[in-house]
Amino acid sequence: MSASARKKARISPPHISEGTTATETLYADLHQLSGILPTPTTPHRRAASAGPTSGGRPTPNIVIRTPGTAARTPRGGPTRHTSARRNAPTTPHAIRALRERANAARTPGLHRRRSGRVQRETPRDMLRDLSRVLARDTRPVQPSPQDRRSSRNAALDLPDVEDGPELVAPRLSMPLGDMYDDDSFHDAPPRRSLLPYLPNDVDNGTVQSLEFGRRALSEDPRMMYGTRLSERFADLNELGIEGEEYEIDGTFINRRPGLDGEELLQEDIEGMDDTTTEMRALTGRRDGRMSDVNLGVFGEVDDEDDEPTFRFTIPQRIQAPMQDERLEDLQEEPEEEPQEEVEEELEEEPQEELEEEPPEEQSEEEGGADAGLDGNVDSDEELPAPVEDPTGGIEITGWESDQEADGDADLQAYREEVSAMDRSLQTQSPERSTDHDQRPRKLRKEIKTSRIGLDYSSFNAATVKRLANGFAKSHSKTKISKDTLAALVQSTDWFFEQMGEDLKAFADHGGRKMIEESDVIAIMKRSRQITSNSTPFSLAQKMLPRELLQELRMEPAPKLKRQKRKRMERIEEEEAD
Amino acid sequence: MPPTLYPRAQVKKTIKAHTGRPMSKNADIMIFLNYTLFLQELVREAAIRSKQAGDRGITAKSVRKVRNNVLRKFKA
Repeated sequence: MSASARKKARISPPHISEGTTATETLYADLHQLSGILPTPTTPHRRAASAGPTSGGRPTPNIVIRTPGTAARTPRGGPTRHTSARRNAPTTPHAIRALRERANAARTPGLHRRRSGRVQRETPRDMLRDLSRVLARDTRPVQPSPQDRRSSRNAALDLPDVEDGPELVAPRLSMPLGDMYDDDSFHDAPPRRSLLPYLPNDVDNGTVQSLEFGRRALSEDPRMMYGTRLSERFADLNELGIEGEEYEIDGTFINRRPGLDGEELLQEDIEGMDDTTTEMRALTGRRDGRMSDVNLGVFGEVDDEDDEPTFRFTIPQRIQAPMQDERLEDLQEEPEEEPQEEVEEELEEEPQEELEEEPPEEQSEEEGGADAGLDGNVDSDEELPAPVEDPTGGIEITGWESDQEADGDADLQAYREEVSAMDRSLQTQSPERSTDHDQRPRKLRKEIKTSRIGLDYSSFNAATVKRLANGFAKSHSKTKISKDTLAALVQSTDWFFEQMGEDLKAFADHGGRKMIEESDVIAIMKRSRQITSNSTPFSLAQKMLPRELLQELRMEPAPKLKRQKRKRMERIEEEEAD
Repeated sequence: MPPTLYPRAQVKKTIKAHTGRPMSKNADIMIFLNYTLFLQELVREAAIRSKQAGDRGITAKSVRKVRNNVLRKFKA
């Protein structure tokens, strides 16, 4: 094979000479290189890639079947070196073994026999192969030397670049002060422990050292689902997650709401003053509030008493008198000291809220760190409404400044009204029970008012039950209880509320008044309900009853036609005009 | 079993109450589809949660626990 190589080397010189003189093609370079390198001689030791060695020397990483086994066979030993001289073996097995052994001895692999080329790993061969691959008459690219130079320069410049701009020295300490910046690109502040949010100047050395269970950032649902939510929640954190601060220390009860609690409380007062929207004010503050009130509908068992509350040491019955006292205070000195009232609110309200909350969400937590985790999440999740409510703007009649103006009337109304807080406290009281007796037994007749002020009824419990039963059957045989159904209906209402808001936003974004199918599909896409794997139609086929599916299937075609027609008509009219 | 398999009017009414907008013809079906998915997810999560808690069947408590997450999941 070296002969052929030499032949080629002899053939190639004209190219090489050309290349060396004026233009250097890659091919020429390689050829030249291969010419410089010594011609390969058969090495004593075969290249590593040449294949398994013979002779029964076990190579650990290469599987050798025949030599090893052959060595063990009685005939294998003697035939090893004398195979060429021996007569042809008779048995097919022996023949095969011999042949294989001989092959293994002579050739590194099958390639050699097949191609007849020397398969050695010399740089020369590699270069020759490479040069063969390249076309012989490739022209040198003109700008290549410049490129090379420039690239080299760039490489040389790199250190300069690094030297050039003065890098900001990395800060080794945690930028705690920046953590709570509103405009930080983290939507959710990275630190979400139970620790209260304190201003920087407060000496919170001990508080910071408290460590509660935290959720990993990757598992944090707030991080997982969208930024918009977290935008909201960022604000909501400001509003105060009562569960956090009151868990820790009494001293923070007073301090914390002082940050921005006044507005919040004012808002609350206003909301409750309005007699018609008192409920909504409550639900506005917490989504869960509505269900607190509603729970009575579904049976005598009140969750508030059912479920153990771990964190709230103040019993409800004790709290109620405090409320009354406060009300009396208010009656005595209603508008002279609005500030004081606020302060009272500051102190009492959170506790009340805590008492209202637990039945819904927080009491479900099983204490300890777990409670901390859930408390964080739950209270966060509870909160979306309060921020939005002001934007809804209907029930909020005024802010702090307004309050003094119509404070009298409001306070009057406030006094007359059994405050919602009280109501929630008086779950067992006869007043409340009568209240619920007046209501129809079934949820569907209960009229609610949406955020924009339109009435709607809660979703049909029967439908929810049927659907949920269908879904639940696959998991468990048991039927859905009343309580569960209540929770499901509540969730349904919330879902539709959320959906409605989203749809509105989408339609607004599209500049439409009408809510269209595409909006819903967009929402479903965003919530990853519709993916490349699940088209809306496949989902519909899976989930919807046949009637609806048919409608869904039938509708689009005529709809398109209609649109076209309309357009045509319009155009004609325009033309006529 | 009620005659209709889903209260179309109610879905429409509810959405309309929340949005104050008219709705195109099939939007409510898609909304209902989304709702069924939501409910399915909710029930599933609640079942898992109540199973973890060792309860039989689906408890209201578990539903309440999971619903916020599920709602969030379905938020656009």
